Parts: sequence; structure tokens; C-alpha cells
Amino acid sequence: MTPKVLLVDDDTAWLEAMQKELAEYADRFNVLAAQDGQQALDVLAAEDVSVVVSDLRMPGIDGFELLNRILHQYPDISVLIITAYDRPKTRDVVFKSGADDYMTKPVSASDLTGKITRALKKKSEGGSLHNVSLETFLQLVEMEQQTCTLRVMNKSAGKSGALFFRNGELLNARYGSSQGRKAVYEIFSWAGVSVSIENQCPVSEKQLEGELQAILLDAMRTKDESSEAFNPEEEEAESRSPEQSRDEILLDTPVQNRRDSSSNPEAETPPPASEKAQPAAAPKARLQQAGPAETGQAEPESGAALVRQKINSSLGNEDDVEDIYEDPQWHYLIEQISHMGKIFNTGSLHAIYLNKGRGKQSVIVPGKRAAVVLMNADTPRDRIVDAVM
Amino acid sequence: MKDIFKDILGIEGVHGVIALDENGRLLLSRFSGDYREEESRIGSVHWNSFIPEFSDIVEAEFVFERRRLYVRKIQHGFFMVVLDDIAPVSMVRLNCEVLQSSLDRLKPGGRFGQLFKKRRS
Repeated sequence: MTPKVLLVDDDTAWLEAMQKELAEYADRFNVLAAQDGQQALDVLAAEDVSVVVSDLRMPGIDGFELLNRILHQYPDISVLIITAYDRPKTRDVVFKSGADDYMTKPVSASDLTGKITRALKKKSEGGSLHNVSLETFLQLVEMEQQTCTLRVMNKSAGKSGALFFRNGELLNARYGSSQGRKAVYEIFSWAGVSVSIENQCPVSEKQLEGELQAILLDAMRTKDESSEAFNPEEEEAESRSPEQSRDEILLDTPVQNRRDSSSNPEAETPPPASEKAQPAAAPKARLQQAGPAETGQAEPESGAALVRQKINSSLGNEDDVEDIYEDPQWHYLIEQISHMGKIFNTGSLHAIYLNKGRGKQSVIVPGKRAAVVLMNADTPRDRIVDAVM
Repeated sequence: MKDIFKDILGIEGVHGVIALDENGRLLLSRFSGDYREEESRIGSVHWNSFIPEFSDIVEAEFVFERRRLYVRKIQHGFFMVVLDDIAPVSMVRLNCEVLQSSLDRLKPGGRFGQLFKKRRS
């Protein structure tokens, strides 16, 4: 499978010229193009992209927001930022935001190809394996306590996905725009796959419950239960000759038992609940994960329940949220800020975002009962703000 | 228009910038040509009624139906950017990050000119 590179820029002339020039390197990668952040997200949802090269300044979803969303939804995809907006701190901010590389315009096709090639090589720096039994290999990764990103390719079906391991623990998986169990079950259902190994893991928090062995068994059970849904591609892969189906592991380069400095789980420990950003102590109506019947909060129209509902329907989960609760102490400020909005003809107040440093960020949602959303330190703020509006 | 704010005011959808001291007193305001009327209304906002409440923030965003106010804590107060909802807020954040050290030099009671180093004869 030839890797795909997505170029994103609202400068159509630059985009077309670069596409033409990069077509010379079709033996190394194929080029896709998008003219803004939203179009890029649409392409990412439909195509299996390895590297994104994005401009910073674009209408709508700009380069920063696109980077945020890719880090969250497609953590294994490398993002190279390319911009004409080069200021002393831009490079620092871009790298701090999670980009893999940074270039300033004008940039030549050969320079860009060099950067893309480096990013692609990094994805298999730990070696590649072909026609491998995934179960066996993953147990090896667990046993050797590897920290790595595994890109798993099911060449017969033209599918690929990623598994994220830190110290031998499976933290998460991605297949298309799916993550978690859905993605891991899909990947584990493939037979005779190829695997490439990157010696680092961009994911720091465990998003899959249970041990690897239990997840593997569960995936196998789910696969067996759904075997009535006959998949001719899988059937073909499984019915290959004994020689083909044997666990023939062909390793290009040895797997290194590498632990990078970022693999220290203690460094990633979220702040204790007592340090969560909050205004002065006040009676708060907390609504935890339990449903209304369990919490005794039956009113579906309550501020926190409504906000939770919006986040769930927009993001599909609450992984980025630490807590959602109601807090009447914000009413005075909401009134004052709403009043200020009238001066600037802003329309009604939808949300207040607060960043109090040291990873403390929250969103206050006005309403009859103001709701406060406490977010994880690395949660992209715009996702939550957009969701609650 | 002072060059220091040129990049921010040049971003599509940005109306203007406002600097306030820690007590909510207006230090300066700069609005682009189309939004001078808004600038004239700044004086009627009671900034001191709520801005001091944000003394412990690094940054904040007030998201309204049609516009946003991006607020950033500076050494002696707050720096605010008024922008349309469609404006690239990430770019505004970046510009504020770039300008932070200059903004930190804004002082209550001083003039806007204090942002710039005095030329020594």
C-alpha cells in the first residue's frame, strides 16, 4: 500500500503547483489535497492518510484547529505545518501544539519531499513484519514491555489501523475515525497482516479497559459471534494455503526494546480532583456518569444534564471531560459578561472558556442553572466549546 | 495604528483590541476602521464589575452568538481581542502569545507609547 499524504492550503495555486511537483514521487507516496480544514477532515475520514502537510492561516478550521483535531482523532498521523506566517514564536507554538515539523514558505518540492519521506520512515523505524499472526506478535510486545505505535495493514482488504502501546500496555487503537474497542476489534479480526513499528507512542492515557489478553479473547469471541455475517475478503484470507497461513514472520529490522523519556506514566498523571479549577466553594449539583434514576436528578432539562447530552451527541463520549456540574456562583459573572456583549452587539452569551494554567481548563455554560465542564489538560478547547453551543 | 497590533488587527474578522488594568480601568483600545463605532462604546462597559474576578486566569474566551472576546492575562491587567465568530481564534491566540512580552510592559497610568523603548540620545 503506497502511503498517502494530504496537502491542506487555501492557496489553490500553491496547492496545484505542489501536487504536480510531488507527483514525481508517486513511487514513495500519493498526494491528496484539501483547500481548508473541514475538507481535510472529510478526506481523513474517507482515506487512509499517513502524513498531513497543512498551512496555518485558513478560513474556517485553521491549521491549529486541524492539528488539534488530528492529534485527538488520528494520533498516529504526522502533521507538518507549512506557513508564510513566520514569527519568532510561531515555531515554538506550533511544536508545542503537537506538530511533527515546521517549514516556512516558500518551500521547494524537494525540501517538502525530504520532510515527508522522513516522517514516513519514522513510522517504520522499528522494523516491519509481514504475514504475521497479530495475536502472537502483540503478546511479544506486551512481554517485552514495548512502547510503540503499530501500524497494522490488512493488504488483502486494503485496510489499515494503529495500535498504541506504552510499556507493553495497549492504551488505544484507531481504525478510520473509530477509536477504542470498536477499532481494536476490527483490527484484531484481520488475518495475515503486515505490521510496521514506530518506536514511540503519541497516546499517554489508557482508553481501553482490561488487559491485552482479555481484550484479545473478547475480540475473538465477538468475531465468532458475528461470523454469520460472512465476509468474503476474510474468508479468502483465512482459506489460503497452509504455507501462506503459517505464522511466517519476516522482520526487516529487529524490534528495539526502547523506552522514550515520555513513557513515564507518572509524568502524565492528571492533577488530583482537589486541584480542579473551580470558583469559591459553593453548593454544587453534581451529575456523575450514572443516569438520572441513580442520581436522583430527574429533570432532563437541568443545566448539567443538558450539557452532558450535547457533549455525548456531538463527540460520542465524555473522554475529554473530567466532570460536569452545576454551580450557581457563576450567575453574576454571566450577567455581567452578557451585559458587556450588548455593547458589542454580540448576541447572546453561549459559553465562557477559562484557562487557569497548569492544565486547569473549564467551560461555563449559561442557563437557568449554569453548568461547568471541567476538561482534561490536553483536551482541545474548541471541541468542547463547539459541543456545548 | 501602531505596528505592534498590526498583525492581530489584520486577521480577518478581528474588530479591535482593548487593554485593561487589573481593576478594569481602560489602558488602551485600537479598532480597525470599520469598527470605530464599537470603540466609542467601550467607555460605557463597567469592566471593573467583573474583570478583577478573572485575576487568576491565563486566558479566557467569551463565546457569544455572533462574536467572541478573547481575554489574556498580562502582567498588569488584561488584553482583550474582539472578533467575529468566524475569525480564526487560534491565530489570534498565537499572535497574543507572540506579543505577550510587549503586552506585559503595559502599565496603569502610563501611555501606550510606553510599549516602545525610548530612544536614547
